[in-house]
Amino acid sequence: MEFWKDENEPIEAFLKMFDECAKIEDIAAGLKKVNQLIWFDYTQDGPNCSFWVDCRGGEIKAGQGKPDEEPNLTMSLSVDDAHRAWSNKLNPVMAITRRKIKVKGSATGLLKLVPKSKKTAEVYVQVLRDMGKEDIIL
Amino acid sequence: MKGNTGKIIDVDLTAGKVKVDELPEEYYGKYIGGSGLAAKLFWERGNFDAEPLSPEAMLIFMNGPFAGLKLSGVSRHSTAGRSPLTGGWGDSSCGGYLAPELRYAGYDGIAITGRAEKPSMLLIEDDRIEILDAGEYWGKETAEVNRALKEKYGKAYRTLVIGPAGENLVKYSIILNEGHHATGRAGFGAVMGSKNLKAIVVKAGKKEMTFADPEKVEELRKELNLKIKEALTSNVLHENGTAANLMGGMFVGDVPIRNWTSNFWEEASEDLTGSTLTETYLTKRSSCAFCSIACKRVVEVKEGPWAVPEGPGPEYETIVSFGTLIGSIDLAATCKAGRICNDLGIDTISAGGTIAWAMEAFERGDLTLEDTGGIELKWGDMDTVINKVVPMIAAKEGKLGALLAEGSVSAAGKIGKGSIDYTVQCKGLEAPMHDPRGGGHGLALTYAMGARGACHVAEPMLHAEMGSRYYPEIGFEYELEPMTDKEKPEAAVDIVAIGSIENSACFCQFADAEVSIPEWLDLFNAVPGYNWDIDEMMRTGRRIFYLKRLINHRFGRTADDDKLTKRMLEPARDGEPEGVEINFDGMKQRFYELMKIDPVKAIPVKEVLEEYGMGEEAAVVW
Repeated sequence: MEFWKDENEPIEAFLKMFDECAKIEDIAAGLKKVNQLIWFDYTQDGPNCSFWVDCRGGEIKAGQGKPDEEPNLTMSLSVDDAHRAWSNKLNPVMAITRRKIKVKGSATGLLKLVPKSKKTAEVYVQVLRDMGKEDIIL
Repeated sequence: MKGNTGKIIDVDLTAGKVKVDELPEEYYGKYIGGSGLAAKLFWERGNFDAEPLSPEAMLIFMNGPFAGLKLSGVSRHSTAGRSPLTGGWGDSSCGGYLAPELRYAGYDGIAITGRAEKPSMLLIEDDRIEILDAGEYWGKETAEVNRALKEKYGKAYRTLVIGPAGENLVKYSIILNEGHHATGRAGFGAVMGSKNLKAIVVKAGKKEMTFADPEKVEELRKELNLKIKEALTSNVLHENGTAANLMGGMFVGDVPIRNWTSNFWEEASEDLTGSTLTETYLTKRSSCAFCSIACKRVVEVKEGPWAVPEGPGPEYETIVSFGTLIGSIDLAATCKAGRICNDLGIDTISAGGTIAWAMEAFERGDLTLEDTGGIELKWGDMDTVINKVVPMIAAKEGKLGALLAEGSVSAAGKIGKGSIDYTVQCKGLEAPMHDPRGGGHGLALTYAMGARGACHVAEPMLHAEMGSRYYPEIGFEYELEPMTDKEKPEAAVDIVAIGSIENSACFCQFADAEVSIPEWLDLFNAVPGYNWDIDEMMRTGRRIFYLKRLINHRFGRTADDDKLTKRMLEPARDGEPEGVEINFDGMKQRFYELMKIDPVKAIPVKEVLEEYGMGEEAAVVW
């Protein structure tokens, strides 16, 4: 891992980011439209290195690990590329084409999040600052 | 010959004669099939002095080598010849069901010249080929004629039909396959109309074709079908159609608004995107032959002013050209407009582009009530567009219909006042619904370099700039950033070759994005048995690109025609690309250098043509 000291640190950052995003009206509205259970699978960097987001039923919930239910969408990538992606510094289409990101399931909901990627990245950068991780801000 | 049949149907409508010709095998190895083979056929047999709508003009329908193979994405064919809209080379790719049927019937293509004395149709049933009276269909809309032909001959007969617009020689008329799949661009419906040819109907007795290496073909077919089916893009296209990513496109500034005067309309991103169509009017998904993606939409608008019965639904291009481009975000209205254009036989891209230009001209006062015959043209006025303007164009009715039926360049030429500056076209072909200022600066380059004019499917630059093309085997590993000119000419050198291969193989860009370079090569070597290596395959792609340039040269095109309009290159006024300028001239110059294209004549230098085995062609143009 290029940016993180252990597998829990990035998950803490990503979950905090989603907590903050859920408080911002237009990002939250965008997330609810996704209406899917998504598993962000970074387990290639450690067995606990993953989290899920459940945007179904008008609520936004998130947690570490693999969800209990079968996810609608699984995105598998390295946690360093995840950092680049949440920082809006990784072209996801290019990453998928080059097999850096593997996608299983329906990604149509996720397309609704694309317009929010800039704002989400701003939230993420602030979370990193709050965690004292300025050194990895891209 | 394997894969291909080596035979084309040669029709002389003036003489009322039909014969079957064999094409030299070397044509296939050098020009693949589809638009490439059609270009070679036109070069050898076409009349370069003939006006596009004259009897002497040649209209070509051509399959690719994979037509008939039960593989997603390969059931397309090309239609080609001199475009009545642009006066230059034109080709248009069409999906659907004609390509495999024609192959099974024993033919790779059809070449048509002459003009029938009366409305006619061509019926092909294996060896039985007849020119028949089509008087009963003349004047009727495409859906009605398609239905009538199916009733008369049978559901399994595959149809190509023109609408009233084609009969009336509207310069951007379409040819519709099975009442749903359009040969949309460059106006070949008018060419059929000029020949008094209302329809072509094809039925094969047996569904068989041959392969150079049948075992390898079966292995490839299984692997590729699975790969294409499971691809993320296929999944998205299946669920929400070609407009699936309209929302994402809107936020990067790729979606044109009000004749390219704006690059952002947040409300539209919700109201017109593919998932909204799925949730509102979609009743079924539909596909081309053997394709698992099924990106086609079937829609029904049950009530309201834009009610339409269940039938073909709009694709991305129609949703935008009859949506944001003319100032509307009414999705039901785009369904209605798309259906009317299909039925009347009009290309939605050129129609939307021409109407958008007219709306701006009217707003500016360059187009007056006298010019329009008293019709006010206002952004988003779908009632006027659907109930007046489109039917008037198809019928060339009144001053406005006659003006707009010729396309935006002709209309701007007639009204003057500098209105050519805000046409959005290249070489006279109205641009598709991707704005290079937001979608990617490389697209500006390939729009201008395209033989037929502004086109997003002649070369897959749009996909490359999005990041969905990666071919390490040929060194295509660019990490392109859309809103710069960095590495775009270099990437374009490969992209034009790949685009030529795709369009000559008649392989759908949505499906073939999953096909790697070694897999392309395996297909060419196993199906028709071209026995290429990668270098020869890429050389073939480039040769086809060059040949179309030579054809345009003989139509009088020069480097001055490889340009975009002022509107397309002015800095965007809002949205993500606001204020960014495209280094168009720099890209063009560099591309010419890399491709060894003469900066005045816009054709490759003689030495390059000879290097590509085009010595005879070189002798004609140099």
